[in-house]
Amino acid sequence: MHSINDRNKEIGKFIPAADDDLIICRCEEITKGEIRKAVHDGMFTVTEMRRYLRCGMGLCQGQTCAKLTKNIIARELNVSPSTLEPATSRSPMRPIEMKILGKEEVNKNERD
Amino acid sequence: MKRYDLIIVGAGPAGLSAAIEAAKKGLHVVVFDENLRPGGQLFKQIHKFFGSKEHQAKVRGFNIGKKLLAEATQLGVEVQLNATVTGMYLDKEVIVKKGDEIFHFKGDAIIVATGASENSVPFKGWTLPGVIGAGAAQTMMNLHGIKPGKKILMLGSGNVGLVVSFQLLQAGCDVVAIVDAAPHIGGYGVHAAKVARCGVPFYLSHTIQSVSGDEKVEKVVIGAVDSSFTLIPETEKTFTVDTICVAVGLSPMSQLFKMAGCKMDDNPKKGGQVPVCNEWGETSIKGIFAAGDVAGIEEASSAMIEGKMAGVCASEYLGYCSSAEQAKDLENMAKDLDSLRQGMFAIKNRGKKIETTMEGIPISTNLLKKGFLSDADIKRFSPTKKIAGVHPVIECTQNIPCNPCQDACVRHCIKIGKDITALPVVDTTKTCMGCGLCVAACSGQAIFLVNEDFSSDYALITLPYEFLPLPQKGEKGKATTRSGEILCDAEVISVKTSKAYDHTALLTMKVPLAMSEKARFFKKVKSYA
Amino acid sequence: MKETKPDVIVIGGGIVGNSSAYYLAKRGLSVLVLEGSDFIGNGGSSRNGGGVRQSGRDPRELPLVMWGIQNIWPTLNSELGVDVEYYQKGNLRLGKTAQHLKILQNLTDKAVACGLDVRMIDRDEVRKINPYLSDEVIGASWCPTDGHANPLTTTLGYYKAARALGVHFITGEKVVELKKVKGKIHQVITENTTYTADCVLLAAGYESRAIAKTIGINIPVRKLKIECLVTEIQPRMFEQMLGTAEADFYGHQSKHGSFVFGGSTGLEPYETDNGTPISSSIGAPCICRGIMKYFPALSRAKIVRTWAGWVDECADKVAIIDKIDEVPGLFVSCGFSGHGFGIGPAAGYNMAELIATGESPVDLTPLRYNRFKAKI
Repeated sequence: MHSINDRNKEIGKFIPAADDDLIICRCEEITKGEIRKAVHDGMFTVTEMRRYLRCGMGLCQGQTCAKLTKNIIARELNVSPSTLEPATSRSPMRPIEMKILGKEEVNKNERD
Repeated sequence: MKRYDLIIVGAGPAGLSAAIEAAKKGLHVVVFDENLRPGGQLFKQIHKFFGSKEHQAKVRGFNIGKKLLAEATQLGVEVQLNATVTGMYLDKEVIVKKGDEIFHFKGDAIIVATGASENSVPFKGWTLPGVIGAGAAQTMMNLHGIKPGKKILMLGSGNVGLVVSFQLLQAGCDVVAIVDAAPHIGGYGVHAAKVARCGVPFYLSHTIQSVSGDEKVEKVVIGAVDSSFTLIPETEKTFTVDTICVAVGLSPMSQLFKMAGCKMDDNPKKGGQVPVCNEWGETSIKGIFAAGDVAGIEEASSAMIEGKMAGVCASEYLGYCSSAEQAKDLENMAKDLDSLRQGMFAIKNRGKKIETTMEGIPISTNLLKKGFLSDADIKRFSPTKKIAGVHPVIECTQNIPCNPCQDACVRHCIKIGKDITALPVVDTTKTCMGCGLCVAACSGQAIFLVNEDFSSDYALITLPYEFLPLPQKGEKGKATTRSGEILCDAEVISVKTSKAYDHTALLTMKVPLAMSEKARFFKKVKSYA
Repeated sequence: MKETKPDVIVIGGGIVGNSSAYYLAKRGLSVLVLEGSDFIGNGGSSRNGGGVRQSGRDPRELPLVMWGIQNIWPTLNSELGVDVEYYQKGNLRLGKTAQHLKILQNLTDKAVACGLDVRMIDRDEVRKINPYLSDEVIGASWCPTDGHANPLTTTLGYYKAARALGVHFITGEKVVELKKVKGKIHQVITENTTYTADCVLLAAGYESRAIAKTIGINIPVRKLKIECLVTEIQPRMFEQMLGTAEADFYGHQSKHGSFVFGGSTGLEPYETDNGTPISSSIGAPCICRGIMKYFPALSRAKIVRTWAGWVDECADKVAIIDKIDEVPGLFVSCGFSGHGFGIGPAAGYNMAELIATGESPVDLTPLRYNRFKAKI
């Protein structure tokens, strides 16, 4: 379900705040101020924010910061967080070494 | 590639309960869990559960876990541990990492019961070593036997925050305060009372302003907030701590559903993103089900029933039971689940302003703000006439579904009735024999035995005690009030343990008669001998 | 809906659409970009392996990509005010067999004929450039002016810069039909409303085909899945872009330190998804094995994420960048067949020039939309 999102809509200017240096994405060390500024660069969604700043791309894949990021974006856009779509989830569910992911017995038949 | 009737992801209460139900109906079930030990969160839960007998009330969480695992294994369920499901793909295929390789498995049906993960809240200094989740602290203590720290501030007063605070005290840590930005304590009053009587202060309508320290947590400053959660200037309070435990809610770990293409719903009432399901846990993809916290944050008791429902539905979907059988099972389970979802803390009642109990008694606001019942509250909830000899005093003032106290008394002194959310009432026509089984059975540790006829000057108070080392008979210490303030001298008359009490010792102390209505905990006095 | 009619409507908010819009705005034209999904750059632009390369390309697109690497990429950071993480440290296309080397020689010869600085190197020289290669690598083609960049920040960077120049972006606006009025392109109809313009640029990746169909234009592309993965941060190992003779895997180490790789299982034409591009259960393991055969040093690197995307593979495997004569006012820039990122900015610039002035710096004749002929 797509919802129309006009990227020209008025969201006001970026006003620096005292807690802009608060780290939000701990894995990639992205601060609240960086996220807020990025909204004014046009990043109105969690997915775009993630691709633009790397928040949510670290080892925990957003488990710690996803909700926090969404709330910051929502507040900057002056909308309810429930209108923002959470980021996509992809495998692997936990980081996995290349040599383990590459080791599989695809050809083994159940009857062997 | 091996194809199972049913693949279950997660060997927690929901996953194991689902496995048991499905195995009973004849399915070949495999359960994958990424952890070393099965049972999910159950194995960290050292406290006694609430609910009724059917819901495993008064049984400690880890024992429930043991029971489920035994039953599942006995029914032929394959429980594979250290087996991480790294992804769920098209055609109900999963990849499982075991050891140093991956395996492909398919299921005719899949139940995902992966539970939830802890939320975070950022504050100045939250990246310092020493800031940990309350669940993480619980794992450290209860699974690994490690104290998370020495001086701890708990952020969050929901059940997790309250229960873990008590466990921190049991582990020998000093909990300096429980802080919550909300105006009321979020968890059960009885859980709060357990920590309040140990002297832990509650700071509601407060939040953490900053945490500081050289290379780890050393100090925390909290401040009061107004109704829009804005900090009120000049209300700072500072605590010296080495640990901040954060208990600010859970979020479902529903990523597997999302990657498989299930319709998702981002629902704050459920804790976050959950798969869209019907009431039995069927998702938008036929044959994929959800159960437990992953479908919406609740608790272990409801997770177990949801697991059963998903197990039954998977069985019917695969033709292992008839629709009629499924309907009958689901009807019973739904009734069971519904009986848990009642009372003051039920999801349906969240946000409602509750001012009286079901029985019409005005609730205790002191309990909600400070974590303990005031003297006025006690008077309001207790019978006015004096009862002769030893008798139970029940300080349970919130309607929650729970009734092990009623079952514990062989003399039928305690009555709750069919609706298990009703407050327990002491039947003064029956004679208490002072066995203390009710004291031990109460999961909220809210029942005391009081004997105001012990002597002309003294009364005896029997209370549940779960701290080690146990005090000795004859030991002299202090009795404290419900808020943990030192009240008077107290002498230990007896400390009873019994298998029937399941590790809740019954401590009987002698206090001046005038203190019989206030003395509710025993504090050891350091001896310098 | 905007009250005033924009000079150009761009359909598609990926690297091609965004860069075209940006350069059009720099030329002073008013632009409206309609993106069908909820996110800017959600298609191939955010899913590719980040290659900015000239080597290994069909000669028909070489002049365009070379122009881009000479004129756009080196100054893109300051142009957009965003770090596109452009590394021009060369491209190694690796070979393990004699057959591989033959393929590489062939590609190299064709490229040299177009004036590209690329040559074959032997096993010793390839190891001097990249000491982490496995013993199985016997040679490679080496193009020192190739490189890689960050497709996410580049695509979103063009979006940010275009938006700052007044380009109007709307996401969630899926175009379902194009219509002529009195013989010229005029209406862009979405699920929601109708926009009008005298000039429309169709740059919607694979989706361009369905849209073009509504106005009688056939864009001969098919969908092929590619799968990618990314590791956690690794110690700095090498800065070249990597590929293989059979293009079965490619990737680079990003500025961040993580390795991004793309690859294929060989079953791509038969792959499906569940509504959004989804990794298959066999893709990532296959790519891992492929990588480890070339870089045993990465065997312990942890993969943190896998993803997939749809390549819009054109019938002859190069893009269609053209003015559509039979629909006056319609321009098309799509079908980049899995190598659209590196060439995207150049395509955007040249298309903007074509629209604004009628001419492009690079001759785009080989990429015309009516070039497809039967075999006999």
